Amino acid sequence: MSAVPTLVEIRGVTKVYKRGRERIEVLHGIDLDIPSGDFVALMGPSGSGKTTLLNLIGGLDTPTGGSVTVGDRRIDQLSGGELAAWRAGHVGFVFQFYNLLPALSAQRNVELPLLLTDLSAAERRRRARIALTLVGLEDRARHKPRELSGGQEQRVAIARAIVADPVVLVADEPTGDLDAKSAEEILALMESLNRDFGKTIVMVTHDPRAAERAHTQKHLEKGVLKA
Amino acid sequence: MRFLPYILKHLRRNWIRTGSTILGMALCIFLFCTLRTVLRAMDDAREYGNVTRLVTRHAVSLVYNLPLSYEGQIAQMPGVERVAISSWFGGSLPAKKESQNGKKGAEGQPDFSKFFTNLAVEDEPYFAMHSEFMVPAEEMRAFREDLRGCIIGRGLAKQFGWKVGDTFFLESFIPPYRRREGPFEFVVRGIYDADKVREPAADDRVMYFHYKYLYESTGRRVGAGLYVVELQDPSQAATVAGAIDKMFQNSEAETKSETEAAFRADFIAMIGNLALLLNSIGLAVIFTILLVTANTMSMAVRERRTEIAVLKTLGFTSRQVLGLILSEALAIGALGGALGLGLSVVIIRAMTKVPGVSGFINGFPNFGLHWSVSSQGLAIALFLGLAAGVMPAVSAYRARITEMLRQV
Repeated sequence: MSAVPTLVEIRGVTKVYKRGRERIEVLHGIDLDIPSGDFVALMGPSGSGKTTLLNLIGGLDTPTGGSVTVGDRRIDQLSGGELAAWRAGHVGFVFQFYNLLPALSAQRNVELPLLLTDLSAAERRRRARIALTLVGLEDRARHKPRELSGGQEQRVAIARAIVADPVVLVADEPTGDLDAKSAEEILALMESLNRDFGKTIVMVTHDPRAAERAHTQKHLEKGVLKA
Repeated sequence: MRFLPYILKHLRRNWIRTGSTILGMALCIFLFCTLRTVLRAMDDAREYGNVTRLVTRHAVSLVYNLPLSYEGQIAQMPGVERVAISSWFGGSLPAKKESQNGKKGAEGQPDFSKFFTNLAVEDEPYFAMHSEFMVPAEEMRAFREDLRGCIIGRGLAKQFGWKVGDTFFLESFIPPYRRREGPFEFVVRGIYDADKVREPAADDRVMYFHYKYLYESTGRRVGAGLYVVELQDPSQAATVAGAIDKMFQNSEAETKSETEAAFRADFIAMIGNLALLLNSIGLAVIFTILLVTANTMSMAVRERRTEIAVLKTLGFTSRQVLGLILSEALAIGALGGALGLGLSVVIIRAMTKVPGVSGFINGFPNFGLHWSVSSQGLAIALFLGLAAGVMPAVSAYRARITEMLRQV
């Protein structure tokens, strides 16, 4: 049996924020390996650094020290523009508050990441339609976000996250704004993406029931990863 | 182009705000184009004017007449071909409709909404030196044989529906030109066509009548409004003008002689420093619209901080986000500019038909929205849009994703 390759490799990562003259160290020398195809839940109390760590994995921020490697790329060494291009091709994001663009229909929201590719308009539409079908919302393609329920909005957000076929999905409290039934549907969908499509998922959550759906649970406390 | 639907959707998102900003921009461009068109027409008017003619008027003001005795003296001067009296009558149609048969039409106050230029001239020398006015010979003959006769331009005839043989009354607002019996009665004896090729400033909305009719009807008390002097050699204009003014130096009525172009410039300048006034208004409006549009764009971007963060998260570079916001601002500028230009075209065309205004406007040669003014208007609209979008765009360019997402 061959070993599963590591997709995300974090070594000695520190993150310091400066507020005026004050220096706040949020992460203290984090080491973490996430194998390809894993479903990881990052847990911990508020202010423990979960979202900061997630942002570093997703390339939304750069560490103050240490290295972050995703696939074979040291993303902590990329410039702003390079990091944006890398995110477009490698990462899908799911937010707690969905963050859909209210002026655009579900279809257009899902198409957004594809605007950065060379795909034709017809191909972009086709792929967005497939992604919406995958999340069970093909009949809601023309609806604006305000015409959808919270659970449906989050499913559109997931369709947007997967439409460009990223190697890793990062989700920040994806069920935090949903009722229990909708949260269950979203977790089932994420499980399916991980199981059936082999997507590596890193999810920040406070909810133990959500964390139970993950294969691996990591706990952060005061910027330190606990075993 | 692939981002165009995204830009347009965002413009439509808060359509009241977008619409009012575009309307504001349109108003600004409309004002700019209309004011510039008027100024341009005035500048053009200064440049036109026959080079073979001088205008000699009272040195103090056009309000004062010159003695009739000057005519012979000027005519004797070397370099002068001929001289003609031309007095601005300032007549308006009485408010009551004119009649063919009589004195009833003479009643009523002047109706300034139907004002047009009417000049009392010495017909023979005047029309001899104004070959740009083409009058059929028999009509000219009929005009000369009738003291109440007048010649009107084709445009004026069209405006009032007058034809040869029609009668109308004019009442001057200049006291010395008013008479106890009431308004002056005129009979249309001829209709002239203006040769715009020979003389671009030739106006076909002017009425000419006999100076003799004015002189005798007012008890032979009025002088000459001004003298039009035809030169033998246009290159001698400055010399002859200087000689005329020198001749009447230290007299009761000193003269000021100048070329027709200079006379036009002086006449326009009488309105005041119109260019400064109109330019000041234009600048104030442009600056106000810049502030309004900048405020709109700032509000729009501030409201969308999360969306901008999401776009960046999805892989849009800071430059692309900057480009999207500037494109939105440019779209507002372009839409407002196009609307403003359209409005200007309509209003400028309408101005040539509005009673009261058209008389003034039609005195300018080639009055209309020139392509250079349109281009300037559109460029200003785009510049305003761009300038208004720069600050919010730069702010979005610099903003860090994690900070913007934290503000959710």
